[in-house]
Amino acid sequence: MSKIKSLFESGSFKSAFIPYFTLGDPNYNDSIEFGKTILDNGADILELGIPFSDPVADGPVIQRAAARSLKNRFSFDEIFRVTKAIHDHKPETPLVYLTYFNPIYHCGITKFLDRAKESGIVGLVIPDLPFDTEESEILFRELKVRDMDLIHLVTPASEKKRIQALTKTSSGFIYYVTSFGVTGERREFSVDLKERIKFLKDTIRLPICAGFGISTPDQANQISQYADGIIIGSAIQRVIEENGSDKTKTIAALADYISKIRAAIP
Amino acid sequence: MGKNLPGYFGEFGGRYSPEILTEALEELESTYQKLKKSKKFKKELEYYLKNYVGRPSPLTYAERLTKLWGGARIWLKREDLNHTGAHKINNAIGQALIARFMGKKRIIAETGAGQHGLATATVGAMFGMETVVYMGAVDVERQNLNAKKIEMLGAKILPVTAGEATLKEATSEAMRDWALNVSTTHYIVGSAIGPHPFPTIVRDFQDFIGSEARSEFKKRNKKLPNAIVACVGGGSNSIGMFHAFLKDKQVAIYGAEAGGLGSKPGEHSATLTYGKTGFLHGTKTLIIQDEFGQIVPAHSVSAGLDYPGVGPEHAHLSQTGRVEYRMVTDEQALDSFLEVTRVEGIIPALETAHAFHVARDVAKDLGKKKDLIICLSGRGDKDVTEVLRLLGERK
Repeated sequence: MSKIKSLFESGSFKSAFIPYFTLGDPNYNDSIEFGKTILDNGADILELGIPFSDPVADGPVIQRAAARSLKNRFSFDEIFRVTKAIHDHKPETPLVYLTYFNPIYHCGITKFLDRAKESGIVGLVIPDLPFDTEESEILFRELKVRDMDLIHLVTPASEKKRIQALTKTSSGFIYYVTSFGVTGERREFSVDLKERIKFLKDTIRLPICAGFGISTPDQANQISQYADGIIIGSAIQRVIEENGSDKTKTIAALADYISKIRAAIP
Repeated sequence: MGKNLPGYFGEFGGRYSPEILTEALEELESTYQKLKKSKKFKKELEYYLKNYVGRPSPLTYAERLTKLWGGARIWLKREDLNHTGAHKINNAIGQALIARFMGKKRIIAETGAGQHGLATATVGAMFGMETVVYMGAVDVERQNLNAKKIEMLGAKILPVTAGEATLKEATSEAMRDWALNVSTTHYIVGSAIGPHPFPTIVRDFQDFIGSEARSEFKKRNKKLPNAIVACVGGGSNSIGMFHAFLKDKQVAIYGAEAGGLGSKPGEHSATLTYGKTGFLHGTKTLIIQDEFGQIVPAHSVSAGLDYPGVGPEHAHLSQTGRVEYRMVTDEQALDSFLEVTRVEGIIPALETAHAFHVARDVAKDLGKKKDLIICLSGRGDKDVTEVLRLLGERK
């Protein structure tokens, strides 16, 4: 059983808190400290972003984070080193990567997966790799062999037939995109969010975690009443952006924000 | 992928875009398949191409260039004579008609040199559609005339300041806009790039270039040309020119890509020479990237060629060897720009100037009594200020 599956089956929470931040912003060593802080203050699963030069599914906050990160010398050795350090701090918390497909493809799928697994990664989210591609099928097979998960995105625009087809190559959880557009904080979500998530839970039989646009404890509390998890990225990255030059201040601000969100989710 | 349209060209192509766009891409594909078979749509498209764009564009025999180069006879496929001054209008009209059929009242586009932005703004004005054009902030500066025209036509220009602030970033931003407004908006992709079905749709709307050139040349000369040449950035004018000739094995086909300032990463946009297989802006193709799969900024004297990827069909044609792609440096393109202007009285776009440089070599190699057609993809009014600045730097 994959680590994510056993976590959701453990019953230790009603709804999981899944924070995200980009590795390397403002530098790789600070990322280790940020990761540890987020883990210590209540992340159930942690999404680590591998920066990519052209993040088309991301809004301005995460775009800027990727750009700041890439000003440092990018290397997979550095990514895996930082990941391992975060993993070693709290090995029981599942870590997943969120990245675009080109860096993985360029590294080589099996090489990337072997090294990611060694570093403590248990799943992947790839916003530009739809499930109905040959590469996604290869990736799913290779991940399964390593007991790792391929977490697909479902959106308000995804039709029933497509959602049903997606179940064959999905595992871990479903990343449900709450609204149209790219990542970024929002005031409102699509009106039928609750119904869509209920429909997905009945159709896919995997935990349905909601992301894109959630930033406040109130929003997290409200959506956690019917979603199996809450994913927050841009709001966390904004904390890093606003305080990143001062590591101590960033750590304090992250601890405060993460603990407030965790407290708002049952 | 569709049953009738090719999703892949060999190993290249496909649909690698965020999930939020999938339904819209499927709707676009099924609508296009339906319209492609519709006589009414075909008639409507032909009506606008003839009466608004001015098609068919003529095939001009370039007597003085032929004499100067001393080799094959040179023919020019005059896309510069189209309304708005380039081939881009062919595709913009076609896609605007599809958008209208789908009931979408808002259109968006990305643009580098501004010709596609101008074409989109033009059809937006003509069909009364709200139009937004994403353009890199650097390109807004260096292609200011087109930027001004786009605004004058009633479209909104949104300058993109991220990254290198050129075509790559404008494309990413247009994709983000589409993700947010997918139910009301059609994204008129301007080159034969992007997720399936865009590379096929754009090629089909540009196929008029090659089909017209082929039939007119044949009618006038009772044979096919020996070679054809076109410039390649994303690759829409060139795939439009090449497609009708691909099965004519006796016709040699050449693409001219931007060699820029040199061979180092960041100095060129020579995707087919230096690119490696990868995934960008929704398609699997050849991309200029570093050892970790990060996309390397491209460079070209021509904003329209300044893109680190290329249409997937070109990647395939390069791999199979059916088309030979050659690099042309910024300096060589500038020289050709001046030469064609002075010798033929035609100011070509800087993009097209790359094709002229390759054509000169090909013409010499072919020798006399042979024929070569160059796709004159657009006129160079938009480039005059930039050329004068560069010539000033030369002094």
